[in-house]
Amino acid sequence: MKESNDIAIKVDHVYKSFNIYYDRANTLKERMLFWARNKRREKREILKDINLEIKKGETVALIGVNGSGKSTLLKLMTQIIFPNQGTIETKGKLTSLLELGAGFHPDFSGRENIYFNSSIFGLTKKEIDKRLDQIIEFSELQDFIDNPVSTYSSGMYMRLAFSVAINVDAEILLIDEILSVGDQHFQEKCFAKMRELKAQGKTMVFVTHSMESVRNLCDRAVWLYDGQVRMDGNTDEVVNEYLRVTT
Amino acid sequence: MNIFKKIYNYRELLKTNVKKEIRGRYKNSILGIMWSFLNPLLQLAVYSIIFGALLAGGDKTYHIYICVALIPWTYFTTAITQSAFTVIGNADIIKKVYFPREILPISVVTSGAVNFVISTIIILAFVIFSGIGLSWYLVFYPFILLIQFILLLGISFIVSSVTVYFRDLEHIIGVILMAAFYATPIVYKLEQLPANLQIIMQLNPMTHLINAYRDIFYYHQMPNMQILCILLALSILLTVIGYFIFKKLQKGFAEEL
Ligand SMILES: Nc1ncnc2c1ncn2[C@@H]1O[C@H](COP(=O)(O)OP(=O)(O)O)[C@@H](O)[C@H]1O
Ligand SMILES: [Mg+2]
Repeated sequence: MKESNDIAIKVDHVYKSFNIYYDRANTLKERMLFWARNKRREKREILKDINLEIKKGETVALIGVNGSGKSTLLKLMTQIIFPNQGTIETKGKLTSLLELGAGFHPDFSGRENIYFNSSIFGLTKKEIDKRLDQIIEFSELQDFIDNPVSTYSSGMYMRLAFSVAINVDAEILLIDEILSVGDQHFQEKCFAKMRELKAQGKTMVFVTHSMESVRNLCDRAVWLYDGQVRMDGNTDEVVNEYLRVTT
Repeated sequence: MNIFKKIYNYRELLKTNVKKEIRGRYKNSILGIMWSFLNPLLQLAVYSIIFGALLAGGDKTYHIYICVALIPWTYFTTAITQSAFTVIGNADIIKKVYFPREILPISVVTSGAVNFVISTIIILAFVIFSGIGLSWYLVFYPFILLIQFILLLGISFIVSSVTVYFRDLEHIIGVILMAAFYATPIVYKLEQLPANLQIIMQLNPMTHLINAYRDIFYYHQMPNMQILCILLALSILLTVIGYFIFKKLQKGFAEEL
């Protein structure tokens, strides 16, 4: 009981598979007309028996080649999707930065999107008002903040999304590969900020292919391979082994 | 219960959503918000002329008789029709971010309620200027609206989640609502029907809600509280069942959409 108090994320025997449809029938008509074709459905197992316990305050890197299931695992932790088997528990307010442009409305301006995005993360207008200047300042998008975000570049999207995510007072932060679209300067700024959050005792799980930043920032690395945890432990050991095998 | 806390925490999102739905509906049209008045008025004009010739029987206030029913009926159908689209229409954010999905059907029913309250001005204008006037039975308005709100919430939970898996529901609902218009005493009086049909109509919850609205606005008499309380209890039950269906089905939203 006492021990479970400082577990932030507990992934327990999680299995996840996706149905791959080759010809999707959504309506009754299609279903009747293409009855035979509907059988062309395949169940692909993406994650197999994942077990992880991430402690409060830990910074964990999730590494692995494309398609190994990293994003799927993060989506499960956020509760966008749910496991077929096993359980995932998270403790404390959770914020995630999974896909570029997620939780943004393309027609709204950057400023309006700060409100929209923060409200998706459960902030009230008052709370957002208080943070608005801070968010805009961190994003360095002052000159563009009143333009519609559909005119933003990927890097600008990411700047805004990251700036919102770090300002919503989450205890757990999940970040997928998206930091890589930022320029050198902003990426460094992000990592500096993450170090600061780490010092504040926030829990972070992030996906990156930059082994240098993994080494700099994380206490622990988890290597996913083909939907399974191949290795989990001390950053240097996992990264060295990963580099040895994949290069 | 947990759900109330969750909704409370996400109240800003709910507010934004409701505003977006109310504003968005007429945003790109020239007459804008005017349509929310013009629409029911034009519909009312058509019904009054057509059905008035057939069914009014010399009743000078027949158009008001319809108006009192048509406005809550519009709330009922709009909310259900929109419920069928709300999850599908928000596929983008459902696939990419977490937020309590319940917010979606709740916003639909809530924004509909706001529109309904605004449209009630039409009813008030009619009864005042025709000389029917107002009565103190109007104090029951919030109570009747509350029942309608809860009833719609239950339907909305079910419709919004089931449509994701069964897209035909969207069309089936259109047909059902069209039939339901005639199965509810909107343009005629219940007493004009044969007795056995009248009994069947009692099973339609909207019959009782429309009757109650008519009692307070048109007939100036006490609504049938016993029936309304039973309806309230059944609506709460439906909402609880609907919520559990929604909760179960929402787990697959991101993958089904
Ligand atoms: N919605 C989905 N439907 C079907 N297959 C999917 C879906 N999402 C991911 N996959 C598959 O799951 C595997 C893992 O994907 P992902 O978690 O995105 O990998 P990573 O983030 O490690 O690159 C891939 O093979 C991908 O094709
Ligand atoms: Mg990925």
